[in-house]
Amino acid sequence: MYKQWSVDLNADAKLMWKQSESSLQPNGEKTSPISVILVSSGSRGNKLLFRYPFQRVSENTSSATSKQRSPYALNTSGDSIEDQDGDSREQTPLTDEQLVAGFSDIILATILATKSDMCGKKFELKIDNVRFVGHPTLLQPPHTIQANADASVINCMHNLSRRIAIALQHEERRCQYLTREAKLMLAVQDEVTTMTETDGTPQSPFRQILPKCKLARDLKEAYDSLCTTGVVRLHINNWLEVSFCLPHKIHRVGGKHIPPEALERSLKAIRPYHALLLLDNEKALLAQLPLDCSPALVRLIKTCSAVKNLQQLAQDADLALLQVFQIAAHLVYWGKAIIIYPLCENNVYMLSPHANICIYSPLAEQFGLQFPGHDLPSMLAKFSLPVSLSEFRNPLDAPVHEAQLIQMVVWMLQRRLLFQLHTYVCLLVPPVEEEPGLREEEPPLVTRVTGRSLSTPSALSFGSPTSSDDMTLTSPSMDNSSAELQTGGDSPLNKRMTETLLASLTEHERQAILRVPAAQNPEDLRLFARLLHYFRGHHHLEEIMYNENMRRSQLKTLFDKFRSVLVITNHEDPIISLFQSPPD
Amino acid sequence: MGSYRRIDCIFFSEFHPTLGPKITYQVPEEYISRELFDTVQVYIITKPELQNKLITVTAMEKKLIGCPVCIEHKKYSRNALLFNLGLVCDARTKTCALEPIVKKLSGYLTTLELESGFISNEESKQKLLPILSTLLEELNVTGACTLPIDDSNTIHLKLIEQRKDPLVVQEYDVPVFTKNKDHFIKSQWDLTTQQILPFVDGYRHIQKISAEADVELNLVRIAVQNLLYYEVVTLVSIFQYSNVYCTTPKVQNLIDKKCLQEECIHYVSKLGQRTNLRDVFQLYCGLTPGTTVRDLCSRYSHQLQRVDERKLIQFGLMKGLIRRLQKYPVKVVRDERSRPPRLYTGCHSYDEICCKTGMSYKELDERLENDPNIVVCWK
Repeated sequence: MYKQWSVDLNADAKLMWKQSESSLQPNGEKTSPISVILVSSGSRGNKLLFRYPFQRVSENTSSATSKQRSPYALNTSGDSIEDQDGDSREQTPLTDEQLVAGFSDIILATILATKSDMCGKKFELKIDNVRFVGHPTLLQPPHTIQANADASVINCMHNLSRRIAIALQHEERRCQYLTREAKLMLAVQDEVTTMTETDGTPQSPFRQILPKCKLARDLKEAYDSLCTTGVVRLHINNWLEVSFCLPHKIHRVGGKHIPPEALERSLKAIRPYHALLLLDNEKALLAQLPLDCSPALVRLIKTCSAVKNLQQLAQDADLALLQVFQIAAHLVYWGKAIIIYPLCENNVYMLSPHANICIYSPLAEQFGLQFPGHDLPSMLAKFSLPVSLSEFRNPLDAPVHEAQLIQMVVWMLQRRLLFQLHTYVCLLVPPVEEEPGLREEEPPLVTRVTGRSLSTPSALSFGSPTSSDDMTLTSPSMDNSSAELQTGGDSPLNKRMTETLLASLTEHERQAILRVPAAQNPEDLRLFARLLHYFRGHHHLEEIMYNENMRRSQLKTLFDKFRSVLVITNHEDPIISLFQSPPD
Repeated sequence: MGSYRRIDCIFFSEFHPTLGPKITYQVPEEYISRELFDTVQVYIITKPELQNKLITVTAMEKKLIGCPVCIEHKKYSRNALLFNLGLVCDARTKTCALEPIVKKLSGYLTTLELESGFISNEESKQKLLPILSTLLEELNVTGACTLPIDDSNTIHLKLIEQRKDPLVVQEYDVPVFTKNKDHFIKSQWDLTTQQILPFVDGYRHIQKISAEADVELNLVRIAVQNLLYYEVVTLVSIFQYSNVYCTTPKVQNLIDKKCLQEECIHYVSKLGQRTNLRDVFQLYCGLTPGTTVRDLCSRYSHQLQRVDERKLIQFGLMKGLIRRLQKYPVKVVRDERSRPPRLYTGCHSYDEICCKTGMSYKELDERLENDPNIVVCWK
């Protein structure tokens, strides 16, 4: 005997994700949901349609342990709010099950079935250590997530809620998909309740729902995927695709996740001279793409390479540079690629501080399989001191060794074991104290650091944003190229240009520069003046090379000539080092 | 007390025997609209299963935090008194720090009711309005509130800053004060911390502090972790002249930030002297992989005339301008019969190994140099 349940077309349905707040769980757990719940509410009242993982129904008292609780009991003990004193004592964390068990089906149905004026917006409810997040809408499912989770994780979960919701709404309008599935779910629940009454053995109705109901399986899959890989791909009603990724799970380096906002900032700072390094091999990546994906994406994946910069990639793949940037950002966001500087023999690499160099690590094993006869720790030891690819090579080696070497470096870059060092230059003139009487007061320019004392020379500081905006993303600044100033010699035009460029310095700095022997050569001085705005420690050698169309040797010679007023250091590029290590 | 934790409204809600759930008092008046209350009332005056739980519901751009209370007794109409004293904030507010306040308030009110019928008595209930006013004002302005209610009850509330969990403290870590040690009233700290304070000098590592202060190692660890939590100290690594460091991108902050320059020059200059930015920056940039501090001292002796190299390194580490390169021995070749390496796995640095085994760096170096099966990685 089955009761007939019908779900109104105007009913609200909510799919909720539930997460626990426990701060004692390892970091990874804070980004995973505890449970996914589907609730509907309509004229016939509120009903819990489905939840996963299933609530464990309490066993018979004879086999019950002290931790077993009836599914309708409230979870009161052990719900300590996170320890604010930072006490590192281990407390027995509540298992997710116990937290979930604290909420009966009925109470969930009540609290999660919101009024209609909450529909269409993000729904967020926190009860003690559990947070529910969803997107209640007419026929839309919400999710619940962890109370202690980052606001960005919450937003992402809400995003997933909404996407599933949109898909469900579409399918409901088209063929009443949700109504049918809900009917199925309720029917099974009913069956099980009847059986329990006759048999006396309690069972979870939701376990029975799974094999019969595609939506339930989809929800379970979404939950499982979120807990593991962080990548969700569903086909609602075998028709509409919903894909989603939780960047917090995907972008984990050194045990910490990279917040999406930091990721987005870095992506915005990418230059045409950067390159895209795929993290999977081409075939595997192409196989993962949906059938109706953009052909530009496919072309890009096929054409990209670790030695090609984005500008070349745009040309080879016959795409606009802007489009290449967008696709690259997309791939990086989905954890399928990272941004590097294109491989070339002058690149200097070093072991990343976050690299796992343990002999028992899975990476070591994979390396051994990929490159038989080589072991990872020995290879990594070679990068203990910064080494350029050209130094690394043995000229007597057969070419096949060289190719293998490149492959190994690429392999290590993909697994973020190495990062690249770049040279940065800073203008810092020697202090004035040796000649106390000579200082002239200069009217302070807006861009200069103010309030300097006599004995402390100021470094050149370009606070104004407009100067740094010259580095446009879309094209090298041809305006600053050497073409204009090639008139050569000491022409008044050139002299005036040099003077203008040096005008933004203090008198003391100007004098110091002019005292350098190389400054006597007008060509050198002109070049120095022209490149002055790069000498504040934020532009590395390769960027100057690209923007100014110069060779490395030219620049290095110039730096050497003016070394008494410059300070040079090497470190990783902070813009792309995000992909190597998480921010503090 | 940031404005981002501002409380917009405090309300007292109860279940009226005839009117049902309503807001009896709210400060400021009329803040919660009828519409908002209707939407969220099921989370304010709740079913039994949700009582005594901290409930935060977000709706209509607002967050409401409350803790519904139910006191059962025959004397009440409907045999139970249901109420909830809650806070309202903007939906974007991070409200974790407010939760203990709400919980505590619900506890206070429960006590007051049980002791003297504070809420069920219409006359004393009216005192709630001025109480709510005071709470709202004081919590927003000072983050704390002490309010006597009657002869035997006083409300004490304080907003506690939420902080990140501190790192685990290892025995080879060196705690260094981020602020001047003398700024603290030592008697406010616990006894263990007081005992180890004289030994926290930015050079002694945890193991050494434990030995010299005669305090058990784990107690020292916990005390330092506590200091870390309040950001009073930070951790750096052991200083030796054989150490190797390199610059991080943050070293450019020294060029960009004037206040950092001043702080640095002040910190690293030798007593009675004053160095300059160029010298300091050159010194930091002189730290590269493969260069020991000893090497730095011989190459840059001119710049070091006015700089204390230990303070230089300390400052650089504290501000993240430089980082230490640690040595990790890895045993790569071993035959089937030998035991699997315990310490030479690539997971343990020289610092750690020396601390654990009591060997000096030199001894460890000698031991490993002659072993062809061991490679050393620096990172």
